[in-house]
Amino acid sequence: MKLSKRTAMLVATGVTGAMVLSACGGDSDSGGGESASGEGRVVFGEATDWPENLFPLISAGNATSTADIEAELLPQAYEIQPDFTVQWNDEFLTEEPTSEVVGDSQTVTYKINPDAVWSDGTPITADDFEFSWRMQRSSDPAAGGCPALLSTSGYDQMTAVEGADEGKTVTVTYSPPFADWQSSFAGNNSPVFPAHLMDKDTPEALCESISTGWPIADGLPGDISGGPWQLKKENINVGQQIVVLTPNENYWGEKPQLAQLVIQGIGNDPTTAVQGLSSGELNVIYPQPQLDLVDQVQGLEPNVTSEINFGLSFEHLDFNTTDPILSDVNVRKAFALALNRQEIVDQTVGQFSSDAQVLNNHIWKNNQPEYQDNAPAEYNAPDPEGAKALLQQSGWTPGPDGIFTKGGQRLSIRVDTTANNPLRQTTIEVMIPQLAAAGIEATFNANPDIFAGPDKPTSLIAGGFQAALFAWVGNPFVSSQPPIYQQVVGDAVGQNYSRIGTPEIDALFDQLMVTPEREQQVAITNQIDSLLWEQMGTLPLYQKPTFIAYTSNIEGVEDNPTQAGPLWNASTWTVQ
Amino acid sequence: MLFFTIRRILASVLVLLVSSFLVFALCAASFDPLSNYYNLNPRPPQAFFDNLREQLGLNDNFFVRYWNWLSGALTGDFGTTVNGTPVADQLGTRLMVTGRMIVAAVIIAVILAIVIGVIGAVRQYKASDYVFTFIAYLLIALPVFWFAALLKEFVAGGINDLLGSQVLYTIGEETPGLSLYASGWELWSDRLGHLVLPTISLALLSFAAWSRFQRAAMLDVLGSDYMRLARAKGLTYRRTVLKHGLRNALIPLTTVVALGIGTLFGGAIITETVFVWHGMGEYLIQDGIRNNDTNVVLGWLLVSAAFVVVFNLVADLLYAVLDPRIRLS
Repeated sequence: MKLSKRTAMLVATGVTGAMVLSACGGDSDSGGGESASGEGRVVFGEATDWPENLFPLISAGNATSTADIEAELLPQAYEIQPDFTVQWNDEFLTEEPTSEVVGDSQTVTYKINPDAVWSDGTPITADDFEFSWRMQRSSDPAAGGCPALLSTSGYDQMTAVEGADEGKTVTVTYSPPFADWQSSFAGNNSPVFPAHLMDKDTPEALCESISTGWPIADGLPGDISGGPWQLKKENINVGQQIVVLTPNENYWGEKPQLAQLVIQGIGNDPTTAVQGLSSGELNVIYPQPQLDLVDQVQGLEPNVTSEINFGLSFEHLDFNTTDPILSDVNVRKAFALALNRQEIVDQTVGQFSSDAQVLNNHIWKNNQPEYQDNAPAEYNAPDPEGAKALLQQSGWTPGPDGIFTKGGQRLSIRVDTTANNPLRQTTIEVMIPQLAAAGIEATFNANPDIFAGPDKPTSLIAGGFQAALFAWVGNPFVSSQPPIYQQVVGDAVGQNYSRIGTPEIDALFDQLMVTPEREQQVAITNQIDSLLWEQMGTLPLYQKPTFIAYTSNIEGVEDNPTQAGPLWNASTWTVQ
Repeated sequence: MLFFTIRRILASVLVLLVSSFLVFALCAASFDPLSNYYNLNPRPPQAFFDNLREQLGLNDNFFVRYWNWLSGALTGDFGTTVNGTPVADQLGTRLMVTGRMIVAAVIIAVILAIVIGVIGAVRQYKASDYVFTFIAYLLIALPVFWFAALLKEFVAGGINDLLGSQVLYTIGEETPGLSLYASGWELWSDRLGHLVLPTISLALLSFAAWSRFQRAAMLDVLGSDYMRLARAKGLTYRRTVLKHGLRNALIPLTTVVALGIGTLFGGAIITETVFVWHGMGEYLIQDGIRNNDTNVVLGWLLVSAAFVVVFNLVADLLYAVLDPRIRLS
């Protein structure tokens, strides 16, 4: 069939018209422009959910993507390094902060760089520290606090924040002392906030503005920055999920080497990330590692460089000690004895990297400087016979199919985990035959409600599980540990989903929380860890890997497998 | 026709109402927007959870919650997401993104489907018919995500290598941040370069099925008495096929295409994900279901259902235009 000339023209016009219309329909953001300092641009493909809010202290801003955008935006007194140590920020401060404990109180002194100013020229002073404290010190409205806050940890123990030397010396007083004082005014989730732009006359008004936060469409108040990068409102494209960071012209320290750091939401489809990297549309990606993804990326060498690291988040088993079977410590120990954790590691994270190790500490991870192997020797290799002996001690007898029974009850344990997580599913599938060899029957259960609230009966909080496999996201600090291991008081389970503990462990944690010196903290935590192995409420398995890949024309990319994230040092990157 | 339209709209409103209630019930039973925070370590204070429950209205009775949503939706207020952004704002942006992606694709797909379908029918069992049939079935059988990945790898990679510069893009609507420093032709050609692959992907996959409908309808019509009569009266073959045949054979395709467009507005979920267009499909999956966000799911439902209803109505009206014997009343 031949189209007439007129029809053909109509069709052609229609198609081009439609394509042009669709092409020009996008939000046309004007303004911005290339900055005077820095050269080149780097596009980072953000694989986690795009943020709706940029204020990190509230639920709406509690996103990895927010943390990535703000990695170098607001001033932070301490920074978490890729080797998991915590270092003071020598551009923001002139000397290392000092901490002194006298009696029941602790005094920390910060000396702010005299040149340190916000991007609008206002000096950064003790007022900003005082305001950041006042904003986060309480979640109780009656006490002038704000319930929208995700955390008040540390700030609720401060009794005073005072300035001297024209506000450039800040003295913070804690009572009682705070073990994680280095985490205050630090990290992308709790930086120093600009008092001159955010402070309000009454606590109620302040709480209201905290609750609203910084919706991403509006950007940061006054496009403020106190770090190397700046995020201007005009550089935010909400619909296309793109933000462009440009150098902060008023930054007093080392300015970024790049003209633009583009952060683009690309979703969590691994093929998209790899193809974007190979076509050059993306320069840096930080996806959840999966085997085929890692293989594909390694196939792009030498144009692409990639690296596997082990981060602070770790997988572990929690045993519910209120369960009739697992309330017996012998059963929990038998479970642990039967497992070949080395094989579990080999079949899961060991596939990514030969550096993968069995984790033998509840509090510190293998590659943290504080790590110490506290696991009793019997757990280093599988011991099905030892497991059986323990079970027999507790009155269990082997049934006809080899599975133990007691009083007609079968030794069958359901291991719950999150739905749609291949790594966790493999972990449990490797466990099942190991346990069967010791006469323990285990089953895999993907539980969509595992992290839900107390009103869902099968959630961890509600306690409707036997054993559960999930991860905790660790950090270099210690104050997140007590809620996991201290005894349950009344209904407040905290995060002690095993519902176990001893007064001795509680006392050690109480002591830890008021011990600011690192060496003493390490000694106490190792004592605690040995006790945790004895009660066997939780069995650590392995650290989870992180995966960074970038086009080889970028210099300076270094993975930071902590909450500081891959963009922690983006201001030092250069591009050829 | 007017009464017909009004009656259809009223019936549709009832359908929307019932479906929104059912979906709301499902969401209310299965979503727990607070579940993202219980496992934060350290866990937020209890005051945080109480506050969030209150703020999201989770303490209210089921029917009160539905009524709050419904009364808002009737006045154009679709509520806010769990993170406090108005759903109506996001729906607008998302709809534009999806719209931009599907407009050209639908036009190309319809034209291709008609042309190929007619050729296939007129030249039935000739070589060209076999070739087109083979291609159509191949495209129908290909999984979308795989086809899109092939396009990216070979079409985009091949053309870019051939031309020695990046002409076709695989991610997003434009080179990120380009509109900050470029304008005019550079920006337009960049957007066109981003549009080509998703358009080809959607167009080819939609056209494949549609061309089969067109071919079948055309074959049906070609064998009918009035076609023979037209030829007997001395009209040229070409004229009978185009004027008498094609017009009648368009009716079945109209229904299929109209329903297809309506559904596409709800989101070409996989195409959007693969090409990173933040449209309606992604909105439902990521922001709605994954985020446990009832308002997002309901907002999506209402808008995409409205599109299906509207395009159905358009199909009915088009019947009357194409076939004057049909009287809508």
